[in-house]
Amino acid sequence: MLFNEGMICMDLNALTKEDAIRQLAMIAADAGKLVSIDEYIESVLAREKTYSTGVGNGIAIPHGRSKAVKETFIVFGKSGRGVEWDALDGKPVHLIFLLGVPEAAENEHLKILSQLSRRLMNENFVEHLKRSESKNEIIQAFKDFGEN
Amino acid sequence: MKIVAVTSCPTGIAHTYMAAEALEKAAKKMGHAIKVETQGSIGIENKISLKEASEADVVIFAADVAVKDENRFSGKPVIKVEVQKAIKNAAEVIKEAEAMIEKSSS
Repeated sequence: MLFNEGMICMDLNALTKEDAIRQLAMIAADAGKLVSIDEYIESVLAREKTYSTGVGNGIAIPHGRSKAVKETFIVFGKSGRGVEWDALDGKPVHLIFLLGVPEAAENEHLKILSQLSRRLMNENFVEHLKRSESKNEIIQAFKDFGEN
Repeated sequence: MKIVAVTSCPTGIAHTYMAAEALEKAAKKMGHAIKVETQGSIGIENKISLKEASEADVVIFAADVAVKDENRFSGKPVIKVEVQKAIKNAAEVIKEAEAMIEKSSS
């Protein structure tokens, strides 16, 4: 299982992109998914520099593929006030999916991440996530909109 | 109109697939047939064959890294956009494709 209640933060209080990435990466670190949190964050920020992962509609999907990742993971964070992300539509983001992928990731896991990415283009799924107020609702939305 | 498209991005984890989904949705909504090949971390999926490439009216590359096997599409009208643009405004990319076809057929 890549995603469970333990990998969700419903009240992210970060003000900056870097801050948000660090807070969410700490959740992954606590779950034992990382070899080195600093090295992982570096890979995510390097990726952000190519161009922002704020894809519009209040969504950001920061990600890093690095040997600092032990196991593929998804951490989800929700921010009420929004985080400035230099997004495609210039708007702050409220739904953040932090993805971690080891160098030698299994295809099965990469598939799950690709399906999640596709699902983020589904307005209904995104609306569901935006309306969700509890971790249970988030998990339910994931279940309703595909297998995870 | 028959469209074939290839999407790819630097890490091949997220944008490749978001762009594919966005293009598929927009094209279908606008009444076109589309096949989108993703060149991502999983490798090539939904591969466009030589036959499909030759039958296409127009080709879209929503790619930030070099498209593999690009010579499949030689001689075809090709629209190249950044992968971000396909995510942000896929309908506009499809419209560009329509305009290109109109131009070449008139």
